[in-house]
Amino acid sequence: MADTPQQTAARVVAVLDMGATAIRLVIAEISSSRRVSLLEEASRGVQLGRDTFSGGVIQPRTADAAFAALDGFRHVMDGYGVTEVRAVATSAVREARNGDLFLDRAQARSGITFDVINEAEETRLLFLAVRDSLKRHPAMRGAWTLLAEVGGGSTSLTVLRFGQPTRSGVYALGAVRLRQQLELRRYAQDLQVALLKRVISNVIEEIRLEIPLQRVTQIIGIGGDLRLAATHIHAQEGAESAREIPRDGVLAFTADIERLDEEGLVGRFRLPAVEADTLVPSMLVYSALLAETSARRVVVSGASLRSGLLIDLAQPKAQVAADDFEHQVLASAEALGHRFRFDRAHGRHVQGLATQLFDQLRDEHRLSNRERLLLQTAALLHDVGVHVSLRAHHKHSQYILSASQIFGLSGRETAVVANVARYHRGSRPQRTHLAYLELDQHERMLTNKLAALLRIANALDAEHLQKVREAKLVRDGATWVLELTGTGDITMEQIAATARTDMFIEVFGRELLIRTVGIGE
Amino acid sequence: MTRQPGNRSLFINRELSWLAFNERVLDQASDPSTPLLERVKFASIAASNLDEFFMVRVAGLKESIEENRSTPDLSGMTPAEQLRSVGEAAHRFVERLYAVTVDELTPALAEHDIRVFAIDELTDERRASLAPFFRDSVLPVLTPLAIDVLRPFPRLASLSLNLAVLLEATAIDGPRRLAIVQVPSRLPRLVQVTVEGVNAFVLLEDLMRLHLPLLFPGQVVVATSAVRLSRDAELEFDDEGGHSQLERVERELRRRNISDVVRLEVEAKASPELVQLLCNQVEVTADDVYAVRGPLDLRFLMQLHDLPGHAELRYPPVQPVNPIEGAPNDMFAAIDEHDLLLHNPYDSYEPVVALLAQAAEDPDVLAIKQTLYRASPGSAIIASLRRAAENNKQVTVIVELTARFDEQRNINWARTLEEAGAHVVYGIRGYKVHAKICLIVRRTPYGLKRYVHLATGNYNERTARIYTDFGLITTSPIIAEDASAFFSALTGYSDPPRLKTLTMAPTGLRQRFLRLINRERRRAEAGQPAEIMAKMNSLIDREIIDALYAASREGVMIRLNVRGICALRPGVPGHSANIDVVSIVDRYLEHSRVYWFLNGGEEETYLSSADWMTRNFDKRIELLFPVERSEHKLRVATALRAMFKDNCNAYLLGADGVYRRRKAAKGEPPFRVQQVLQDEAGRSAALAREGAGVSFVPDSTERP
Repeated sequence: MADTPQQTAARVVAVLDMGATAIRLVIAEISSSRRVSLLEEASRGVQLGRDTFSGGVIQPRTADAAFAALDGFRHVMDGYGVTEVRAVATSAVREARNGDLFLDRAQARSGITFDVINEAEETRLLFLAVRDSLKRHPAMRGAWTLLAEVGGGSTSLTVLRFGQPTRSGVYALGAVRLRQQLELRRYAQDLQVALLKRVISNVIEEIRLEIPLQRVTQIIGIGGDLRLAATHIHAQEGAESAREIPRDGVLAFTADIERLDEEGLVGRFRLPAVEADTLVPSMLVYSALLAETSARRVVVSGASLRSGLLIDLAQPKAQVAADDFEHQVLASAEALGHRFRFDRAHGRHVQGLATQLFDQLRDEHRLSNRERLLLQTAALLHDVGVHVSLRAHHKHSQYILSASQIFGLSGRETAVVANVARYHRGSRPQRTHLAYLELDQHERMLTNKLAALLRIANALDAEHLQKVREAKLVRDGATWVLELTGTGDITMEQIAATARTDMFIEVFGRELLIRTVGIGE
Repeated sequence: MTRQPGNRSLFINRELSWLAFNERVLDQASDPSTPLLERVKFASIAASNLDEFFMVRVAGLKESIEENRSTPDLSGMTPAEQLRSVGEAAHRFVERLYAVTVDELTPALAEHDIRVFAIDELTDERRASLAPFFRDSVLPVLTPLAIDVLRPFPRLASLSLNLAVLLEATAIDGPRRLAIVQVPSRLPRLVQVTVEGVNAFVLLEDLMRLHLPLLFPGQVVVATSAVRLSRDAELEFDDEGGHSQLERVERELRRRNISDVVRLEVEAKASPELVQLLCNQVEVTADDVYAVRGPLDLRFLMQLHDLPGHAELRYPPVQPVNPIEGAPNDMFAAIDEHDLLLHNPYDSYEPVVALLAQAAEDPDVLAIKQTLYRASPGSAIIASLRRAAENNKQVTVIVELTARFDEQRNINWARTLEEAGAHVVYGIRGYKVHAKICLIVRRTPYGLKRYVHLATGNYNERTARIYTDFGLITTSPIIAEDASAFFSALTGYSDPPRLKTLTMAPTGLRQRFLRLINRERRRAEAGQPAEIMAKMNSLIDREIIDALYAASREGVMIRLNVRGICALRPGVPGHSANIDVVSIVDRYLEHSRVYWFLNGGEEETYLSSADWMTRNFDKRIELLFPVERSEHKLRVATALRAMFKDNCNAYLLGADGVYRRRKAAKGEPPFRVQQVLQDEAGRSAALAREGAGVSFVPDSTERP
């Protein structure tokens, strides 16, 4: 051959998704121009959710079924010479008490390492996938569009305003979870539906507090159950595409199938029993959500967590966060701040100052824009703990943030943000701080660097008056000087900041003097 | 007689339809325009077909009756009624088979100095010359079995040839006794006799008869007859030449304490006393006895067909056309250029063999996955798969094991594949893997590329020269994606997928066909032109036939080319007036399955491994695949249309259920479709070789 094969030209990647009812595999090729072409999709029904959502533990037989499925997937992957694997597990493993042990055994046996992703990460991946699959769809430009995925374990909701995610939340409304928790099998069909409806309506009450469903005018739905419903609603009406289903169609279809038991569903739709199990609860959730809104149709997206993972793999690492999600992450963080009635002006001001410091120290800390975003998020939200109590509020901030979902941040990243916020004041990181110890070494280092900057930035607005405008770092031999420009008297800020240089000196190994150089307007 | 929907006489009984097919095969044996040795072969095939029919279908009917099942078939006949009709038809058929063999073929062969002599036609001298052969090669393997109170009648193997001997009583007033000698199956049935200038033979059983005194010394032989039993096969045969054990449950049902003999064949000249004794021993009634006026088990005629020389008495040899001649070194490159449609046996099967051979050695090939339904043990394809496995490629082979006596052979080559590192899947529980598909995954400078071969016929280089089949080699990514998903499902690595382009049985193939048929019906309802053409081996499925009737009623023009069993009754006013059924029986076994739909002008053409048979939809793993390139669609549709123009070897099924051979109308030139396609393939190849390009001229779309 004249041209030598360029084995690096295209990457063959595999993504795996361990969900509540199945483990799924997609093998795809990513070209040098980052085009993704699907090679194969495979799926094996494994009822992890059934175990986790009833007894809280993955049972040995289910685990064996999962390992057998992975053995097979390994074989399929080998047939393509897969070079990169991204495998994630969601709520069914996340919530299982033996989830870590289970994944460790899976890793030992199949060589596939699964990451347990948190809800915010799940939401982010789904958004990525939907945005890609509905590029030019009007729903992506609507003022109030709800992106909904009813999964086996939970329901993920994101409000899109003009295509940008603003608020999101993940709620315990999964089809498998509902089935297991309500022990539906014990009841007759009509009673099952009544129970489901009651629980769903209770959760929707909660959702309403966080997401303004009544303002929603468009809904984008994701997931196999909805796709199946769409196919059948359209078959009945003889339409060509199942991409959009009218409101009445969804409601009528749900009313129609809720009477059917598993056998009836299997017979009517020729479904595997596993899928029949989730169809009714899923459609009840979609219908209940739809009824809350004024949307006239549901746009059915073919996107999935797996397509999101593929897009993630196709993009260069840095670009994922910085270019795509800075805005969404900060918007989501602000929404969170509002829930805790934070001092927005202070938060934003500290964020600005911290960013100034970060940018001037790039040569020293050598961190990327992704870490800059983490600093900005922590700066914005460092005081949310005040909502609980002013006393030791940095500690309250830590646990509030670590339990929160910030759109676009992974679980690990959220943990870093929570720690950075925790150290905006008070003692420096210590071996007795459990939340700090839960970080890995890299994350601990990062926490120290970012917290060192946040401590100074926060002190520069100690009085919450936003008087310091500019903090300019001047390197003068071994000693660095931070030159402040402000509005009015900024002596207090200068003193406060000087008292908070402790961590900075430790992290960057330089003395830091703080001077006031100018008073602005 | 009025025929209302639901009136069962709208359907033709499948057993009688099958017998009618075998009659058409026998027509070939009786047709003077067919070369003589080919006629001999057709007689042998018809006889062999009938053997299987008895062992499977007649056995099944008998079983139904014994179990008091009286559910009528589609045509409304109970099992008892069917057995009666089938018995009558089978007796008539056997009479005709022997009439053709004895009265037509034997004299015709003699004219060409090919003779099978009766022993008494030989001179003493010639008879004596056979003695050493008998003594040295035959006698040592003979085991005469006398039957008496202490020694019960032996369990004769189904279809084995035996000599029954009636011996005179040893004591005065004692009974005459029966003895059985099996005719050794390992020796050729025809024993060569040296006669100047003649291919002369005697039958092995006649030679044994001559030497009976050696086997029963001191006893008086009263009468003899060759005898053969057909038993319930517990096997399922199919038109792929494959046969497998029946479903376990079905087999268990057959374990009963009754005779499983379904047919007893004896010589017409056998003594009534001997025949009666045999009937008593094997528990059959007179209806099941076939007394034939000629040698039993005509499968030996194949030995005559294979005689050396006599080329003028056979079909002229044909060199299949290799459509990629000129670039044979790199199959991948050839296919990269464009997808390849193969029409065997007119086109050579070589591209498929070459593709696998190259894939086995190409370092960039990562994986090969393939189904193997019925492969010949010496197959070059299997050798390539082994090489590929040895070269550390991922090789996955889904093998369908065949019957008991074949099992060892099958397992042997499958084992060698396994030892070489291939992943061998020995069938799918509850289903027979009938789909013919091969997938090759290959690394290229531009990424992975997949090559998929899909066909209507098996991976069998031998049958590819005598069966008509279509095959497609494609690099279509969307077909490849489905192919990959198909294999992952069959190997158990994935749950059954929702396929995008391919359709699979048992998960949705019938529904897909029904949708395609109903779409034509709706178009006809809307006043649009609507047309269906389909070609298959058998048509039995009730739902499909009902949909075709409904389509015909709305005015859809339906032309069916059904080689074998057809349960649909065409030409019935108000039901199937718009349906024509044609059957072609000629040199090559018609085997391709083609389904064509006009679809309002956006023609859709599909190829499949499946017939429109209930078992194909429910008990088989099958695939349906689209033909998408316009020149390929044109070629398939052209061939399909040509089938309906044949006026030499085509039969038209009448509303009365009778097949009538089509004759050229006055002034109409003879049109023999297999010959026409053969010539066409040769012309296309010649054109291609000259670099002149190929153009296809569609035949007239008018109905014949």
